[in-house]
Amino acid sequence: MKRFLGVFLGILTAIGGFVDMGDLVANAATGARFQMTLAWVVPVGVVGIVVYAEMSGRVAAICGRPVFDLVRERLGPRFGMANLIASFSINVLTLTAELAGVAIALSLAASINYLLLVPFVTVLVWLVVWRLPFSTMERIFGLLGLCLLVFVVAVWQFGPDWGTLWSAAADPHVPSGETPFTYAYFGIALFGAAMTPYEVFFFSSGAVEDGWTVRDLNENRANVFIGFPLGGLLSLAIMACAHLVLAPHDIGVDQLSQVALPVAVVVGKLGLAIVLVGIFAATFGAALETALSAGYTVAQYLGWPWGKHRRPRQASRFHVIILLTLLAGTVIACSGIDPVKVTEYSIVLSAAALPLTYFPILVIANDPTYIGTGHVNGRFLNTIATIYLVILVAVSVATIPLMIITKAGS
Amino acid sequence: MTTGRVVHAALHLLDRQLRDRHGGLCGKVDDLELERADDGTWYVTAVLTGPGHLLYRTGRRTAGTWLGKLITHIESSSLDDPGRIPYTHVSEIGITVDLAVDADDVATFAGERWARDHVIGHIPGSRHDADQ
Repeated sequence: MKRFLGVFLGILTAIGGFVDMGDLVANAATGARFQMTLAWVVPVGVVGIVVYAEMSGRVAAICGRPVFDLVRERLGPRFGMANLIASFSINVLTLTAELAGVAIALSLAASINYLLLVPFVTVLVWLVVWRLPFSTMERIFGLLGLCLLVFVVAVWQFGPDWGTLWSAAADPHVPSGETPFTYAYFGIALFGAAMTPYEVFFFSSGAVEDGWTVRDLNENRANVFIGFPLGGLLSLAIMACAHLVLAPHDIGVDQLSQVALPVAVVVGKLGLAIVLVGIFAATFGAALETALSAGYTVAQYLGWPWGKHRRPRQASRFHVIILLTLLAGTVIACSGIDPVKVTEYSIVLSAAALPLTYFPILVIANDPTYIGTGHVNGRFLNTIATIYLVILVAVSVATIPLMIITKAGS
Repeated sequence: MTTGRVVHAALHLLDRQLRDRHGGLCGKVDDLELERADDGTWYVTAVLTGPGHLLYRTGRRTAGTWLGKLITHIESSSLDDPGRIPYTHVSEIGITVDLAVDADDVATFAGERWARDHVIGHIPGSRHDADQ
């Protein structure tokens, strides 16, 4: 049982990364607009995040050092600060969208204007950060997030021709009516969603919060190999649902409610109830992940005491940062800004900052003074990780120009 | 100087995590103070920490010096200058730099104390472990 409960850090991290507010909409929008021609990006992203999250978890378990600590140490104060500013802004933007997302999920059930619910959601998020033990938090929201598996059920019940679905996914091409630029732009958004930096900030800090040691390396592997592929599966299921149910009727997706539509059509009322719980848990989980990551990154860059495993009094500045971040997120969300647009921009911006986060992880995972000669990367792992680093650099260079050329994918 | 251990200052010292004598996190090695001996060898004489030194090192020298002075002025510490920890007070250099002083005596702790006494300490539950 303990082993079973031990993998929820990975599951929560992955759900918060792959199927948070922005990705729920982005996955469905991609399925409705590009059918399955971009599905191949998801497994590519899954392998990348598995490789780097495993390294970050291994380093955290062996020497107790989370990712942003290493970022400062390996990149120095200037590049570290550049990464901090980028990552922190992304955290605030994503948190804004998640707070709105939770409120929208609640308003779909309760028929109240979601803006009225945002402050209430913020208080809930803060209470969880303030009082709930880390492991309880990861279990509750990881477990509830599994409700999103109803998207897999929906694909199954729809009973598509699996051969056609597979050949559509296995044949990447730019669909007619789209330019190579929009195709690449949506591809980068999917890849950026899979490898969002706050996933490794949260996962490695969570490993420290959960008190992992060198004996927990198997747990680290189990978390990574179960959590992230599960996130990828959910992502593909949402895409397939939109492709199968919405695309034939020419329905585009630009709101959270439309994401749940295919499940309501195929599975019915019970399915809709389950999917709403899943969306609530995923967006709430992502809100926790980004709020905590905001505290983790700042505290670890400056060397402050941090974490939920300390009493709040013993990590005061960490909690002040989280409070201020939540406040900023709430104010922006209450301004009525479209939360989907906010996450679209934040995913793409995070793609531009990716190498600054992943490069230091690769360096330390090869340094025996940190993790001992027995635990450094093997040649095979280094080869894959290096290939991904090249991809990350290419993506980060291409992101901003593509955003300008495609007018953010419109 | 107690020992003549050779360390690569940029690699083994700069930007490392500082821990106090109880193992608590208390800032980063933001800069180093060096002194040149008669034979031309450079020695590390002190570890510099705190936002003032960080700003100074990243090129904002006027603002850094000003901030460093301000911290020294408002800080109550058993050290003469809480942002300057003499190298004799460094007990170990590993993947962290361990100090033989209390976190309370180090420059970056002024902010922690302020946040604790003026903000976090006033919120109910701040003294409890999360699982209590």
